Amino acid sequence: MRIDGDICIACEACIPYCPMEAISMKDDVAVIDQEECVDCGVCQRSKVCPVDCIIFEPADWPRSIRATFSNPRTEHKATGIAGRGTEEMKTNDVTGRFKRGFVGLGVELGRPGIGTRLRDLDTVARALAKAGVKFEPKNPLTALMKDPKTGELPEDILNEKVLSAVIEALLPIEKLEDVLSALKKATQKISTVASVCVINRAELNGSYPLRKKLDELSIFYRPNGKQNAGLGRPKANV
Amino acid sequence: MTHMLHRQGTRESLSKDYTVIILRAMGFNDKDYLPKCQEALRIARRHNPVNWGSEQKGNIFEFPAEEIIAEAKGDSMVVFDNPANLTAFLKDLKEADLGLSVTVSGLFDKVDECFEKAGLQHHTANFSLGVWGRTDLLPSKDILEVTTMCGHAMVSSNLVKAMVKEIKAGRKTPQEATKVLAPNCT
Repeated sequence: MRIDGDICIACEACIPYCPMEAISMKDDVAVIDQEECVDCGVCQRSKVCPVDCIIFEPADWPRSIRATFSNPRTEHKATGIAGRGTEEMKTNDVTGRFKRGFVGLGVELGRPGIGTRLRDLDTVARALAKAGVKFEPKNPLTALMKDPKTGELPEDILNEKVLSAVIEALLPIEKLEDVLSALKKATQKISTVASVCVINRAELNGSYPLRKKLDELSIFYRPNGKQNAGLGRPKANV
Repeated sequence: MTHMLHRQGTRESLSKDYTVIILRAMGFNDKDYLPKCQEALRIARRHNPVNWGSEQKGNIFEFPAEEIIAEAKGDSMVVFDNPANLTAFLKDLKEADLGLSVTVSGLFDKVDECFEKAGLQHHTANFSLGVWGRTDLLPSKDILEVTTMCGHAMVSSNLVKAMVKEIKAGRKTPQEATKVLAPNCT
């Protein structure tokens, strides 16, 4: 994102809108710190600028990553989905991605509202790979990995900053404790936050074995969450 | 403000906050899904949602209802502030049998009751394990209760703080402040 300094009237109205606090005043015009800007487009989409001087010009690689991960109205070429991850459990009734006996893991770095460099995603993904998870092949971050078996990301994108990006993975429920332990250690090495979630297919009686496992391991989970109602068709056999 | 999983808040505030997402599965039932999306949004309107919209178009704080339905694209989102309206919506969705996937977020025990009343079975759940890492960088809980309503983090902490100031100074009502915040959320 960029502000046309010749048009800016220094009203400062755009400043509070930036989720990354990347807009400031310099020499009586608003400027955007290009290092911190994630090209999410909030400043422009808010239409707060009275003289319409906020500009988005699509960037070349690797900066183009910023907009595709940060602006949810941009579709990822790898998935065809707008947003930062896959449909995960939201379409599990149709895709059958999460089968009984397995746990889906989602680790969204940068969320809520802090942002993340891809370097931190590289750190966490490598730790999870060593702990034995399988990365979701349709996830846009997996698509960027040099090798999904190691979780390593290419060197030229590591300094790019995004509002957030999700690592999605699958593991057998028996590995849950070890994987979460590895994740805990990895998140102590990063310079941002990570919102963590786990996914489970219900048993025929409607119960979730994962909930029992989390209780057994004394792992905190919020009282609110998401539940797929099973209305999608054609129905997956899981 | 239609985010689903990692919403933060007290039990009281969360008990007035139910988000439904209706979507097609890419590569499975994504052909000709738009009329079904539009029908789901029409059904939603009958049950007094507090917000609703289409992911790649926008929400009712940005566009007129008819325009959203006509130009709906991608996932559809609907937010209710009470279990009764959510239950009625789910019953109608089940009856409509659109074939799209429907996921509900909210307090597990409250949503469980709604599922039971609507005749729905649990299929798959997503549990939030909270925020890990540099939590010292986060704003206060009060601010997070508002900003985490948008999962894509498009509502900045500073804008929330600015709106709180406006309300305290009597320059804006809470409803007017909401109309400044909500359009930023996708």
